[in-house]
Amino acid sequence: MDWLILPPLLIPFAGVFTTLLLRKRRRLQAWLSLAFISAALAFSLFLAQKVIFEGATFALQSGQWPVPAGITLVADPLGVFMLVMTQLVLSAGILYAIGSTEKVVQYPTFYPLFLGLATGLSGAFLTGDLFNLFVFAEVIVITGATLTGIADDKYGVEAAYKYFLISTVAALLFLLGVGSLYASYGTLNLAQLGELIQTEPLKPLALAGMAFLTATFLTKSAVFPFHFWQPDFHAAAPTAVSAMLSSVVVKLGVYGFLRMTSLLFVNQADTLRLLLVILGVVGVIYGGFGAAGTHNAKRMLAYSTLSQIGFILVGIGWGTPFSIAAALVFTFNHSLIKAAMLMLAGAIASRAPVKSASFEVVLGVGKNSPAAGVLFLLGGMALAGIPPTNGFISKLGIFWSGVEAEQYLPLAIIGVASILTLFYVISAFMKIWFEKNPNVKPKQGDWLIAPTLLVLLCLALGIWGEPLIVAANNITASLADSSNYISIVKEASALLQVSQ
Amino acid sequence: MNFLTALAIATMFSLGLFQLMRRNTIRSATGLVLLSNAVNMFLFTTGAYDGVAAAYYQAQGQVSDPLPQALVLTAIVISAGGFAFVLSLLYIIAERYKTSNSDEVEGLRN
Repeated sequence: MDWLILPPLLIPFAGVFTTLLLRKRRRLQAWLSLAFISAALAFSLFLAQKVIFEGATFALQSGQWPVPAGITLVADPLGVFMLVMTQLVLSAGILYAIGSTEKVVQYPTFYPLFLGLATGLSGAFLTGDLFNLFVFAEVIVITGATLTGIADDKYGVEAAYKYFLISTVAALLFLLGVGSLYASYGTLNLAQLGELIQTEPLKPLALAGMAFLTATFLTKSAVFPFHFWQPDFHAAAPTAVSAMLSSVVVKLGVYGFLRMTSLLFVNQADTLRLLLVILGVVGVIYGGFGAAGTHNAKRMLAYSTLSQIGFILVGIGWGTPFSIAAALVFTFNHSLIKAAMLMLAGAIASRAPVKSASFEVVLGVGKNSPAAGVLFLLGGMALAGIPPTNGFISKLGIFWSGVEAEQYLPLAIIGVASILTLFYVISAFMKIWFEKNPNVKPKQGDWLIAPTLLVLLCLALGIWGEPLIVAANNITASLADSSNYISIVKEASALLQVSQ
Repeated sequence: MNFLTALAIATMFSLGLFQLMRRNTIRSATGLVLLSNAVNMFLFTTGAYDGVAAAYYQAQGQVSDPLPQALVLTAIVISAGGFAFVLSLLYIIAERYKTSNSDEVEGLRN
């Protein structure tokens, strides 16, 4: 049954090449990409049912090589959870791209690159090898930068250059971390590294490796002080792509920190957690004020991601089982909400007289699309954490876990800063839907199907959030002891040796 | 020899870092290449001193660790691709903004 890990990774990968061959037939290419990503999503949902709810585990040694030499693919609860989240949002992204009026979706390699992004993300969450994680992270960077470089926005190339330079430096730091850990422990398998670092935590380069990995993941998640490229990059990307970048791609760093604190550096986790709480609180304030001060709807949502990632990091940083579960729920919900909101901002921009999400341009544009207004209001409520949306559950979880962990100072700061969310969402809503603008004429824009589905999912999870919370609790239980992850890989390797 | 290798990597790394921070976009791209080569060298040295024989099948004597070599090979390919991508972006930027000074590439500032 271990082969079940492969479909969520290989289907998008096969899709890259299939859709590349069909670049002359645009409609077929687009719908086929949706079919590929939905098939991958179906497999990951099946995997999630098995792994998260029934407690099964899967691990695969690629090429039948035993542990340190062969690359391990592991489906543990955390990885599968992130996988489902990613592919859910990516499916919505492709659906949005199909109905998009932007020129960029006509670009022959748009869908292959999009599926490449899906491959990179799926691989990063399933791999059990540090160097392989680096490779998949590079796939994400290259596809993300290319998709932004071809954007309709005339500043796309500049944003892509900025992002690519920063990400390449981050990737080099990652490589330095990989080298340091390999020099110290002689393996790059995550499970084996976790075991060895626990038994001999004070090898000369171990802490250097930890520092390098921390810097890398901070850059990947655009956390203060490594955040400065993020609003430019996310605002200049095509709408369908920026909805992915700002929701699931930034979660790679969150995933990295969860792995670092629960598996790789368990002994040093307290130091790391303290850092995450401090940076998270700074991010919440900075992102909140940044979002309130911008003049562009997409840019506002990009800044808002800075602050929401801050909430997640604070949750991971408190480190109690409850707060980690809350951070996981927050991660999942934020992906859905932020993707929906960015798609709505893009859909409004596509209906504006000049194609731009700047508030001057989209002023009063909402008059012709009241449906988008309802969706934007619901999504905004979810972002600010007002019931009956899923955002309420995630914020309640974070605040409640803070009270339980007795962390009153950070709690008070993020509590005050989260009121800012309500302020900027409402002010954007008023500007787009309640101001009068004589220049606005009815105009065909992007389809609203994808954001509608995402907002409905947000509402459904707000009213019946039990599956998500059970999943988060199960994942937290599996993260509590690093031996859970290590034993999955050991079993797979032992089986391999028996069969040989 | 160990010391010389370390010194060479350190020199290359600092030169690369210095160039990367320059205002000129071409220089900063060159810095990126130097930096990635320095990191690749570092990765390579993590397995350089364990063995005397190449890691062939049925090799005689203490074989050297083949894994860092495989890692470096992958990393070189990725950094070469990345460098090509950066250069192509710079080409478009140079054409559009008519400059190679990164201070003048400021369309996103407002």
